[in-house]
Amino acid sequence: MKNHTKQFLLLALAVLTTPILSAQGILGGHVTGNVQIDGQISSADSVIGAQDVPEKLLMNARADILYTNGDFSAGLRFEAYHNPMLGFKSQYKGEGIANYFVRYQGDIISITAGNFYEQFGSGMILRAYEDRYLGLDNSLRGLNVTLRPFNGITIKALAGKQRYFWNYSNSIVRGIDGEVNLNSLISSMAESKLRATLGAGFVSKYEENQSIYADPSHIFNLPLNVGSGAVRMDLAYGNWGLQTEYARKGQDPSVMNDFIYRNGEALMINATYSQKGFSANIQAKRVDNMCFKSERTESGEMLYINYIPAITKQHTYAFLSMYPYATQTTGEMGLQGDIMYKIKKDTPLGGKYGTDIHLNASVITAIDTTQVPGPGIGYQSDWFKTGELYYADASLEIAKKLNKDLKLTCTYGYQIFNPVVEGHPGDLHHNHIVVADLTWKVDKKNVLRFEAEWMGSDSRFNYDVNDKRCGDWIMGLVEYNFTSAWFVSVSDQYAYRDGIGNYYNVSIGYTHGATRLQMGYGKQREGLLCIGGVCRMVPASNGLTFSLTSSF
Amino acid sequence: MKKIFLTMICLALGSIAIAQNATLPQNITVKALDGTSVQTSAIQNDGKPIILSFWATWCKPCNRELNTIKEVYEEWQEETGVKLVAISIDDARSASRVKPHVDGNGWEYEVYIDQNQDFKRAMNVVNVPHTFVINGKGEIVWQHTSFVEGSEEELLEVVKKAAAQTE
Repeated sequence: MKNHTKQFLLLALAVLTTPILSAQGILGGHVTGNVQIDGQISSADSVIGAQDVPEKLLMNARADILYTNGDFSAGLRFEAYHNPMLGFKSQYKGEGIANYFVRYQGDIISITAGNFYEQFGSGMILRAYEDRYLGLDNSLRGLNVTLRPFNGITIKALAGKQRYFWNYSNSIVRGIDGEVNLNSLISSMAESKLRATLGAGFVSKYEENQSIYADPSHIFNLPLNVGSGAVRMDLAYGNWGLQTEYARKGQDPSVMNDFIYRNGEALMINATYSQKGFSANIQAKRVDNMCFKSERTESGEMLYINYIPAITKQHTYAFLSMYPYATQTTGEMGLQGDIMYKIKKDTPLGGKYGTDIHLNASVITAIDTTQVPGPGIGYQSDWFKTGELYYADASLEIAKKLNKDLKLTCTYGYQIFNPVVEGHPGDLHHNHIVVADLTWKVDKKNVLRFEAEWMGSDSRFNYDVNDKRCGDWIMGLVEYNFTSAWFVSVSDQYAYRDGIGNYYNVSIGYTHGATRLQMGYGKQREGLLCIGGVCRMVPASNGLTFSLTSSF
Repeated sequence: MKKIFLTMICLALGSIAIAQNATLPQNITVKALDGTSVQTSAIQNDGKPIILSFWATWCKPCNRELNTIKEVYEEWQEETGVKLVAISIDDARSASRVKPHVDGNGWEYEVYIDQNQDFKRAMNVVNVPHTFVINGKGEIVWQHTSFVEGSEEELLEVVKKAAAQTE
């Protein structure tokens, strides 16, 4: 990043692009992009554990600029962290061009040179992705080629190095993936009721040797190449659907698995039945030693090559998502079921507008393990036996339009949470949560929304464990919208028994087209921010936050 | 570094002026609900307008938007010939729930899954819901993020205008 030649080249690129822009009428093409600026002013608060910020103002900013001309496109992203906001890693400090690429996308071949994002199947062996809110960017810098030689066949091949803050990992990731859609490939199956897609992929990581001591007199004999492969199938027949993927990984001793020489494996099965107004879905998974990173000594949430999704429901209400579940890539088993049902209108239960019912339940446990002493495979595992309970939840949501202007959603949830998934052992937390959410369309331009939440828990706050989520909570929120342009909201979360903390917040937002400005003042709870089962710790904050996003 | 930043700002400002001409990217691959890969060039509506809505199963305002439009969708189609194409940005965690979610809600939209988020990036979508209106020539004539009840009226006005443009 601090390389002057590179800076010059990029500047030259930027300058060269400008005439293309001005000659837009002749050369064609479009420039689009998006900008996001987030800032935060936080001051100390001993009750919620907010620290003083010596810089006073923390700010994250980024801008993506994309140039498209027919089958060609090129893009770059500027990022600046002065200094990184609370919860973002301090290694992000600084600014520069974090991402650039050129791409040709034809009918048969697509080629990307530079930074790219890619996923094989459900991502169990490879998923290079970014999540700006988690501060995660696993993009690969290198070459990515996609071939579609015949209708129904897709082949992807890639090689690159993974982004690590402002640098790149010292390993190389290579992969190939093929997918066949039988209905597109075989003409006699084109109209078949059976829809079938099959796929397989392989990913290999090369990392140089290093001296890591098993004990003062022994060093590990580390594999330099680690391979991982997966097969998958996606079938649909009428209202039925079945998706399944099985992945394996070779020996990959790393800091994440305490340097054991054990193969990894993961299986995911998803079955669905759906028709208009009703759907049911059941998901099962088993993951054993499937943490795949591009550096063996990286312990944090960075440098993941693969992605093992959490199968618990992603809740959005504050108390339902206070204890999010983070995937345990070293080993877990899980089962999840989901039912949606729409009671028809003009029936006794459905009323004039119908009623929506949504039921969800999941349970996640550790895998069974029997330790094998000494360095080696680490443990043995009985495939069908479960270990300790990590997480379980069940929720019922009923949504009903009461009349033309009023809509009520009521949710009940029950959770059992094992704090060991966040790395600190302790008693299980059992929580009951009730949410009522009422939207009142006052007239065509004014909409009010009220939300009340309650959480009863058997957890008790104490200063030794210092888990600020413990205890019984109530919350209220009022939100006023003037068209989709303006909103103001006021909320408060208060631990009324066996807990600590009073988190109030006032927010105001303005949206015009694809530009949105939002400001908030109040207290933010420390906790895990989770998206897709990937989580990041966010410290408590107390003060002002603002966010500007714009697409053009 | 400052120079680059300034150049980028110029680029950005310059682009706003021409953003009106932007069209739908053509060769991005998304998945239909039956698992078939589809190129974005297949998103067509015979010269009539398209509402392109980026959403996710876990996004409450997105669901409110798509459920609200569901109630008036038939009327809108009759009046303007519009088609709503819903692009799910659900990732591996929830992508398998998109079809049950769509059926369970009784949506009759054309739905695609953009699991690797290539389409989302190409359209500069930052947050969902993010809704575009595309006229009969394939040009993006309007976009908006966020949804509250009642703002579907504004969307209908834009769609009507887009429909009138192409007639």
